Amino acid sequence: MKDAVTSLPSAVSSASRRYAPRTWMLILLTALVAVSVVSLLIGAGEVGPRRVLGLLQNASDSEAQFIVWELRAPRTLIGIAVGISLGVAGALLQAISRNPLAEPGLLGVSAGAAFAVALALVLGASAATLRISVAQLGALVGCICVLSVARFRGVGNDPVRLVLAGAAFSGLLGSLTSLMLLYDQRAADEIRFWVVGSLAGRRLDDLVAVLPSLLVAAIAVVVMARPLAALALGERAASGLGHHPTLIRWVAVGCVALLVGAATAIAGPIAFVGLVVPFVARAFAGPDIRRTLWFCLPIGPLIVLTADIISRVVVAPSELPLGVLTALCGAPVLIAVVRAKRLPML
Amino acid sequence: MANHPSLTGVATESHAVPNHAAEYANRVPAPEGYWHIALPRWGYSFLLEKRALAVNIGLLIALLAACLLYLSLGNVPLAPSAVIPAVLGKGDMMTAFMVQELRLPRLIAACFTGAAFALSGILMQTLARNRLATPGIIGIDNGATAFAVASIVGMGVSIAPPAMALAGATTAAVLTFGLAAGSGTQGYRFIVAGIGVGAVFGAITQLMLAQVAIDTANAAYPWTVGSLNARPGGAVQLLGIGLALGIVAALALARSLSLLRFKDATASGLGVRVKARRLQVLMLSVVLTAFAVAVAGPVGMVALIGPEIARSLSRARHVPILAATLAGALVMLLADLAGRTLFAPVEIPVGIVTAVVGGPWLIWILMRPQRSRP
Repeated sequence: MKDAVTSLPSAVSSASRRYAPRTWMLILLTALVAVSVVSLLIGAGEVGPRRVLGLLQNASDSEAQFIVWELRAPRTLIGIAVGISLGVAGALLQAISRNPLAEPGLLGVSAGAAFAVALALVLGASAATLRISVAQLGALVGCICVLSVARFRGVGNDPVRLVLAGAAFSGLLGSLTSLMLLYDQRAADEIRFWVVGSLAGRRLDDLVAVLPSLLVAAIAVVVMARPLAALALGERAASGLGHHPTLIRWVAVGCVALLVGAATAIAGPIAFVGLVVPFVARAFAGPDIRRTLWFCLPIGPLIVLTADIISRVVVAPSELPLGVLTALCGAPVLIAVVRAKRLPML
Repeated sequence: MANHPSLTGVATESHAVPNHAAEYANRVPAPEGYWHIALPRWGYSFLLEKRALAVNIGLLIALLAACLLYLSLGNVPLAPSAVIPAVLGKGDMMTAFMVQELRLPRLIAACFTGAAFALSGILMQTLARNRLATPGIIGIDNGATAFAVASIVGMGVSIAPPAMALAGATTAAVLTFGLAAGSGTQGYRFIVAGIGVGAVFGAITQLMLAQVAIDTANAAYPWTVGSLNARPGGAVQLLGIGLALGIVAALALARSLSLLRFKDATASGLGVRVKARRLQVLMLSVVLTAFAVAVAGPVGMVALIGPEIARSLSRARHVPILAATLAGALVMLLADLAGRTLFAPVEIPVGIVTAVVGGPWLIWILMRPQRSRP
């Protein structure tokens, strides 16, 4: 157990030296396609792989057709979007806080988004219309709160203390959210299945609604990649290279809020994805943030889709909340990072 | 009350010949702020800190006042003057029923769980030399909850919740301490390893709740947030016994506890068997947490707030064991009272109240520049 946990990153990174990053990228993309296909084939219900494959020969099986195209295909696409958003957001957050443990779920950014949505519902907004922008606003406020705690003296120097602050913060917001839901039965009914974090029953409309903000964030991240890499050398080096550290940070915080807010608005708060994805991506890509961001693109959806497939199969015919599974595979990674002899400072 | 053997120069002195103690007490003036209590008949003398005594008595009075308030307030408000006879079984039937059957058992459960959480918290904090290392934060609560929920939803085991909670708390403690072994029990890494362990057990709890029928899941729900509503029969009695024994054991360990706050080398130089004492303190803390979780579920933050109040009140050189215990009971009582009455008729689980109050406190502790160790 001990060896398995500690040697995981080193095993991956030694494996990553065997092939060029480009080859790894191809392998990961292939794996992603494979997992997406599996995600279409497998479900909690009766429509198994054989019936789905039967669709290719004769299209008369209307039930299978409906389930595949109306339920599983949107779910897979949403899983891909959520994985990319959370993974990239995690990588950005880790880069600007220079903390390998920074993660939207652990630091309370997701909890901020969830709290904002619950608050809006209790105050009388209807769920669908406002949810995305409200979630993004909540994520932004949560992000700023926790990072300002991080810049406070003492906390910022210690990656681990920031996690503790984040845990306290998200615990507080989680309690406030459940307090409000306890008080307002209507709101509770409306978002009971959303606050646990899941991909089940989400429609394509949700994804379409968040696409604009994802696009904005994508453009910003592409523009930001070089300045972020410069920032990794230190503030002075970054300003010497002609970048503005404060501006970079603020834009990155904005991107994190857009991404996490969008992901949370669709799927609910999902923890640990933003920790695991950059962790694995760094093992493939090395310390360069630009490469890490690229590797987050296939790895994020890969992890989220795999967890989602498992969540459908494990307790069939019912389903497991996705957040439970990501916690189960994310917490060991957290412990592995903490156990490392020297915390990798970013 | 408050007979902590003190750490100062003229520490606990015991003599075989009775008269020496009395002479000694007369001859050597007590340090400022202390009374020198001599018990010549038993050949024993000790220093009693005035402030500690005052703090404990003050907390006890506050606790009694809170009890009275707790019994009076509720859906049907009662006059305090009617409550006291009702506790003794006099007064009119209806009031007596309400007080004795409804509010008093819950009051006792609240006091016991609060005291147990806070006591186990201060033990763990002293052990880890970190004021944030409470059983709730390092995942022991969640471990106990996961196992207890397993027994409630009937995952093929029919062991009573307290026993299962004990097994879970032990598992979580072993995991946390084992996984953090390389980095030592000090510092924040240990705590984050605990957060990870806690997250795993929290997820396992969710996993079990997702698999059972909705009614069973609803029955187990108050448990997962911490509530005094569902108290499994027998668990409170067990907690009472465990708490009484735990307080006695903790007081017996008090001197070693004070010394455990120093470096290992210093402590063992002063005559503490560090490893053995550590293990005893850890076991005591785990058992107390497990029994308390078996009654009320994982009520967070009481283990943080209780000792914090006790420390800031007593400003002492010793570890304020009794004061922390009393403060914990007081906090739990007030939190449950607030949860019952603030938003009535909706009842807020006590775990949510303590989390809402304790969260900002925890953040404040984290942000505050560190001055002193627990």
